[in-house]
Amino acid sequence: MIITPKELNDREYELTVIDVRPKSQRNEFPLVGLETLVSEDGFISNVEGLTVLVCQFGIVTEGMIIENELADTYSLLGGAQSWNEFQLEKEDLSRWARQTILSDIGLDGQKKIMNARVGVVGLGGLGCPVAQSLVTVGIGKLDLIDGDCVEISNLHRQPLHGNDDIGEKKVVSAKTSLNKINSVTTINIIDDYLDEQNGLDFIRNCDVIIDATDNLKTRQLIDQFSKKLNVPMVYGGLYRWEGQVAILNVDGSPGYKELFPGSPSSGDTCADAGILGMLPNIIGNIQALESVKLIVGIEPNLVGKLLIYDGKNHSTDIIQL
Amino acid sequence: MIKINIKCFSQVKYALGKDQLKIELEDGTSTSELEKMIREKGNGKLDDIPLRVAVNQKYAPNEVELQDGDEVAFIPPVQGG
Repeated sequence: MIITPKELNDREYELTVIDVRPKSQRNEFPLVGLETLVSEDGFISNVEGLTVLVCQFGIVTEGMIIENELADTYSLLGGAQSWNEFQLEKEDLSRWARQTILSDIGLDGQKKIMNARVGVVGLGGLGCPVAQSLVTVGIGKLDLIDGDCVEISNLHRQPLHGNDDIGEKKVVSAKTSLNKINSVTTINIIDDYLDEQNGLDFIRNCDVIIDATDNLKTRQLIDQFSKKLNVPMVYGGLYRWEGQVAILNVDGSPGYKELFPGSPSSGDTCADAGILGMLPNIIGNIQALESVKLIVGIEPNLVGKLLIYDGKNHSTDIIQL
Repeated sequence: MIKINIKCFSQVKYALGKDQLKIELEDGTSTSELEKMIREKGNGKLDDIPLRVAVNQKYAPNEVELQDGDEVAFIPPVQGG
């Protein structure tokens, strides 16, 4: 069995960790912030319950477990090196130095980002870049919901999914890709479509909810729950070369219902109208940008405004709602 | 007569084949009368599409009498994501 550094970090209290490395390696590369027993053959008497074996790179311990058919025993993926890198990354804010030197962000802003919880509804054209950017800037918790599977026609615009992911659940594929960017963000996935039954619970604990859906019915549901729970909704929509972004339902500011009242059946999807791969990435990144501004408290932002971007002539219009 | 600049977004742009129009209207023309003209120019392509109207970059949920030099935007909802 394999355990990642992050999983070990989260479950350390219930695991016994055994360092199997020779003394020279233990001295040269001590494990940071991890209490361990030492046994070069991986066995220690009187140890009960789940055990994690740690070698330098995770290869030796994997072999030991297979060779000796050890039950209830994990090998730490990537070994001591991976654990120490994880610890460094967890503590080292220098990863975000280029954004924390912005006076609008600073260390306080970065901490707000790292303490924030954002929900993303839909892991398609908009959801992929939104999630990617939020994880990249260090968002603390990301909740993803989508019941769809990856299709080949998604790949030209959905950068979290690749050839090997066709047929895979989008939330699973997205989480795998996102974990490679930044293992500090806690990512929760729900393999389902947001609906009347699960919507309130999904949005309830979020600081911001991202509307990255491709249908007006779900958009209207998000709007309804966002308004009820007073969780700001960052709306995004696409049509051919154009995209729209607005921040809705902030302390009584207009919601989607005020923005576009009426029939939920109008408007073409990307499958109907067509879309060039870059457009959703631009719009999704604007949604992520506005989310971070909202979390940190940066103005001006798109609260009470509708931004319309045209990718053909690069015109940007902002309409006051 | 008043001169109006019209900005067309998403389906409106494709129905009319233009992203901007400059037209002259009778004094006293309202936003809803202009919307009716735009829908007629769409030759049926805008019949089932709800349009929101903004005058001078501000939503105009109620009927407004247009003034010389106004910029009027017609904005449909978009579904793609």
